[in-house]
Amino acid sequence: MNAPNRYELYVLEDGEKPVEVIEDTKIPNAATIKILKQDHTLGNMLRAQLLAMPEILFAGYKVPHPLHPYFLIKIQTDGTVTPQILLERACTKLIGTMSSLETKFKREFSYKDVEGTVGGVTSHLDDPYGGTGTGGSAWSTGRDYLDL
Amino acid sequence: MQAPEELEPTVRIRELAKDKVNFVLENVDLAFANSFRRVMMADLPTVAIDMVEIEVNTTVLPDEFIAHRLGQIPLLSSNCDEAIRYTRDCTCLAGCSFCSITLVLHVSCNDDNTMNVTSNHLEVTPHPEDQEQQADPGEELSKRGEYFGHPVGKNDPNASPVLICKIRKGQELKIRCTAKKGIAKEHAKWSPCSAVAFEYDPYNKLRHTSYWFETDIKAEWPVGDNAKEEEVPRDDEPFDYTAKPNKFYFEVETDGSLSPQEVVMKGLAELQTKLANLIYGLKTQTQAEIDIMNEPQPNGAGAETGAWGMPASGPPAVPPTSAWSGGASSQWGNTSPGQRSTSNPPGWGASPNAGSWSSGATAGWSSPGQQSNGWNV
Repeated sequence: MNAPNRYELYVLEDGEKPVEVIEDTKIPNAATIKILKQDHTLGNMLRAQLLAMPEILFAGYKVPHPLHPYFLIKIQTDGTVTPQILLERACTKLIGTMSSLETKFKREFSYKDVEGTVGGVTSHLDDPYGGTGTGGSAWSTGRDYLDL
Repeated sequence: MQAPEELEPTVRIRELAKDKVNFVLENVDLAFANSFRRVMMADLPTVAIDMVEIEVNTTVLPDEFIAHRLGQIPLLSSNCDEAIRYTRDCTCLAGCSFCSITLVLHVSCNDDNTMNVTSNHLEVTPHPEDQEQQADPGEELSKRGEYFGHPVGKNDPNASPVLICKIRKGQELKIRCTAKKGIAKEHAKWSPCSAVAFEYDPYNKLRHTSYWFETDIKAEWPVGDNAKEEEVPRDDEPFDYTAKPNKFYFEVETDGSLSPQEVVMKGLAELQTKLANLIYGLKTQTQAEIDIMNEPQPNGAGAETGAWGMPASGPPAVPPTSAWSGGASSQWGNTSPGQRSTSNPPGWGASPNAGSWSSGATAGWSSPGQQSNGWNV
């Protein structure tokens, strides 16, 4: 009866800060960044991206407890940039990768749609997803939810 | 700390069907591919029945049993981002037409044969308070498709419906369900995916796993179809311990609530949103820090702790003697016990075998992809 709402695992509460930087007083150019309401999905991806950057000396993340909805990412740089800036760069880099992937997926899906009209994807159901332009053949030509 | 790969990620869709897509993703990191998988399974909103009011239930199944089954019926949720709100974000008290969908089911059996109550008996009905409560401006309703919130396959004579329960003569089931928007982190019924297959390295060249076998490993572990995409390793091939997985085989299978296209595209969009929110959080955090630093600090501690990032007289990139020692067993945190014994802060780098932050000689921080002492490095 006193269980917390499940959405507290992934929704920031009122006034809660999504990011908290805890400086490291013993190691130069190092910081631990606490990211609230996020999990391995973001943490592991960021860690991997950070390790691929030349300025990094150390990057590691942990989810201290599975019931506590946050993770810590510890970053040490070589001194040319601060850990925050490096983390920000890693995010930007990942966003770039994703948007390029997005374009490629769109192109691939549009090729498949052309084939699909012959006898695959959309032939036996005129529009299984209710015709908002996101299902089936509408992808190649029509507007989709990503066009703002 | 490898050289940054400048190879562009590529994707190739091998098969696309109404409810599944099979694709190969190349030139990305394992962590990236795995995050993509995770986000498609658990972070995409759909609608699912979340509340059930039972008026009559004379079936053999108890109320909660039926409610549980109803929750797991996939409902068409295309364009869920715009077409419906989360109830927790809505201005209404407990569900309105903007944040919920009402479905009713009323079946009774007057036949001598057993009757199947299925998802096809669920009817979407307009919200009862719609007439009096149109003050709330919302464009959600116009973003909905014709069949938004309908059980998957209801309008398709070829699809077999989801069985809810079986009733015999004289039994009746009359219920009103409220479907709400949610994500699979709250309950798996909101997941748009029924399965996501994820494979890399079908020949296990990287030795990320080890197979148990009785006599012959090759006969007992036949390779899958994805192995056709890769070079067959020679028997005398030396183990390349620097190799990294590069090619990932996905098959995203949806339950019909979203199309596979939508799952993939929204997965990528959701990951970008997460990263963008983090950048925004970092920016605002830095701003807040500057504001604090500009305020006068009565105890004089502010300047020292505030300016931690780039010390003016900073040490060289790799200090030769102190905390960061680099090298093969690169550990961070000076683990010499003598220096630490007086002031052990709760947290980083205590004695070598006490805290979760310290690292022993074998569990170095540098081992990639392994969990060492609680840190995934």
